[in-house]
Amino acid sequence: MDLFANLAHGFGVALSPINLLMCLIGALVGTLVGVLPGIGTIATVAMLLPITFGLQPVGALIMLAGIYYGAQYGGSTTSILVNIPGEATSVVTALDGFQMAKQGRAGPALAIAAIGSFFAGCVATVLIAILGAPLTKLALAFGPAEYFSLMVLGLIFAVVLAKGSVLKAIAMIVLGLLMSMVGSDIETGVSRMAFNIPELADGLGFATVAMGVFGFAEIIRNLDAGAEMDRDLVQKKITGLMPTRKDLKDSTPAILRGTVLGSILGILPGGGAVIASFAAYTLEKKLAKDPSRFGRGAIEGVAAPESANNAAAQTSFIPLLTLGIPPNAVMALMVGAMTIHGIVPGPQVMQKQPDLVWGMIASMWIGNLMLIIINLPLVGIWVRLLRVPYRLMFPSIVIFCAIGIYSVNNAPVDVVLAGAFGLVGYWLIKHDFEPAPLLLGMVLGPLMEENLRRALLISRGDWSVFLTRPLSAVLLAIAAGLLVLAVLPTLRRKRDEVFVESEG
Amino acid sequence: MAETTGQLSGGVAREPAARSVTGASIILVLAFAPQLIELLIALAGLVGPLSGRGPLQVIGAHASALSTALPSLAQQYAAGSKASLSSDVLLALIYTYPLIAVAVFTFMVRPRGPQDYFGGVVLMAIALFALWASSDLQGMRGFSFGAGTAPRMFGLLLLGLGAAIAVIGVVNSGAQLATYHWRGPLFVSLAILTFAVSIRPLGLLITGLASFLIAAIGSPETRWREAVIVGVCLTAGCALLFPYVLGLAMPLWPRFLLQ
Repeated sequence: MDLFANLAHGFGVALSPINLLMCLIGALVGTLVGVLPGIGTIATVAMLLPITFGLQPVGALIMLAGIYYGAQYGGSTTSILVNIPGEATSVVTALDGFQMAKQGRAGPALAIAAIGSFFAGCVATVLIAILGAPLTKLALAFGPAEYFSLMVLGLIFAVVLAKGSVLKAIAMIVLGLLMSMVGSDIETGVSRMAFNIPELADGLGFATVAMGVFGFAEIIRNLDAGAEMDRDLVQKKITGLMPTRKDLKDSTPAILRGTVLGSILGILPGGGAVIASFAAYTLEKKLAKDPSRFGRGAIEGVAAPESANNAAAQTSFIPLLTLGIPPNAVMALMVGAMTIHGIVPGPQVMQKQPDLVWGMIASMWIGNLMLIIINLPLVGIWVRLLRVPYRLMFPSIVIFCAIGIYSVNNAPVDVVLAGAFGLVGYWLIKHDFEPAPLLLGMVLGPLMEENLRRALLISRGDWSVFLTRPLSAVLLAIAAGLLVLAVLPTLRRKRDEVFVESEG
Repeated sequence: MAETTGQLSGGVAREPAARSVTGASIILVLAFAPQLIELLIALAGLVGPLSGRGPLQVIGAHASALSTALPSLAQQYAAGSKASLSSDVLLALIYTYPLIAVAVFTFMVRPRGPQDYFGGVVLMAIALFALWASSDLQGMRGFSFGAGTAPRMFGLLLLGLGAAIAVIGVVNSGAQLATYHWRGPLFVSLAILTFAVSIRPLGLLITGLASFLIAAIGSPETRWREAVIVGVCLTAGCALLFPYVLGLAMPLWPRFLLQ
């Protein structure tokens, strides 16, 4: 079968020594980032973008992908052991994971998280391999109207699933769209909202903004918390990694459900690992015979979200590789990495760059295997890292971020802009605006505008084209339905409940 | 530039929340922020090599634009002429006047959810500013989009959303303004600025250490001895890692040493 030939080819690429090394570096850095609170995946990938200049494209993307899913593993470790989610994706894992650790069952919790992640990773890898080709064919049937509607759907998804006010989330998306329009117009080449500042002529760099609102703003906010950052660690030694038979029996269905849910949410534009873990936890709680066990050390509460976030982290590559649409901010940075190497993401990548696509898919499976090894036996080392005090960590992160941003274009102005966006991000946090939809809007902005203009040009200015083309109409209908559901008060209250609980 | 205004408005919340007077006066400053920023740039142009209008020209142009904006709009409307208004007049009409109105409104009401209210107002300001900034771009040409169509579309959308958020902030009781701290933001920003300014002339070694130490002031918990040791080690590590291992072109030593 074609699939196996492709996968075999992919493993051939991924198993070359240099790519194995890249995969290992990605997994290690990802775990490190996942473990350390105060620096997230987005900032790290943005920081490492310039490094990939000197690498082969395959190796570069394998490494960046490794960081993304590696962070999902690392995040679970600290959530369980010290109740500090190193990543937003592991916030819900901390609820039951830390309770388990308190009951002296940290070992099984870690093991189940790792097993669940590994299983989900394997499934997601196969899923990408299977879905890649047919989705690429579907993508060829997509016209500009369909692309536009799909992106609307993605943005609405991001809004519905974001926490807090729907209105504020939409406002952030629109702000992102507006910011994406700074710089030259794609069609006419006219400079827009750039005020004759040469550095703005190319538009606001995505990596710059991402580093500002996710990197610098996070540091500034953490400094506010001051002494609270001192962490009291679980000093107990972790004994007995092996879960009992009952643990395995309880968590198997949870892992399966989490994997399915995570895979679906990862594929949808606007989805991603964070949403997947929240949704999986909620689902488990709904389905459980005795929901009160959750929050008191239920193993399903660890198994499901950890499987879901890992599955979603990987399946979110599907829209990028097949449609050329980055479904979330990390994937948008991947687009940046691909562009650096002259690869335009989209349906044609699968045919033109089989090495790249299949090599990356195969490397995900290898990376997952490496992560199990990195995480379980080396847990002690990662926990020790947490003892590095924040007062030393944050200036280091500042320097790394500054160097990273500077070396993208060798432009000092980029560093200043990133700093300014750090303050903007700080302001956004203080006013309870989520920065993630803003970035998504910024990423999708140029694509959306281009497709909107093209669709209207083809239809000679007829806006009904979005409703008369069946695929586009279906996509928009789903989007409208979702939005209605989100605004409906009953559902909203429930949604808030989920998030309030998970924060508590 | 829209972002710069957003950033200035960070100051909005630094004051205690309940006082509408403080909030109103800060919105008033925000309303004149573009003019003030242009004036500052013009003043800087006196010292450095910046071209553009001189400070006196800036003051004169904006003062006359602000005072004659409404009459000239009325005049244009009455005459039915297609002559376009100057950019300064448009700034006054599109950005400054509406924000002054918002400031007056803020002075009169006491928002029950200040966090939402001021958040919405700033979004409105950004939207108005973007509308002004894209006002010189071409709009629809027949059924095809001009360069300015999409920015204006999303600008109007953001204006509406910002207004809705602000209205909710007035009507519904919501969260108070969060407290801002100055130490962290100030020194982290200073460190970033130091890095940007000195990386080219001074090189990575000096710049890295200096930025590290400036950032370290941002936390009251910093212990100087360990900060210096870690800073030196980190800078040395970066000096090896980035230019040599990763092959990124980056000046290491100060320029004057190399000459």
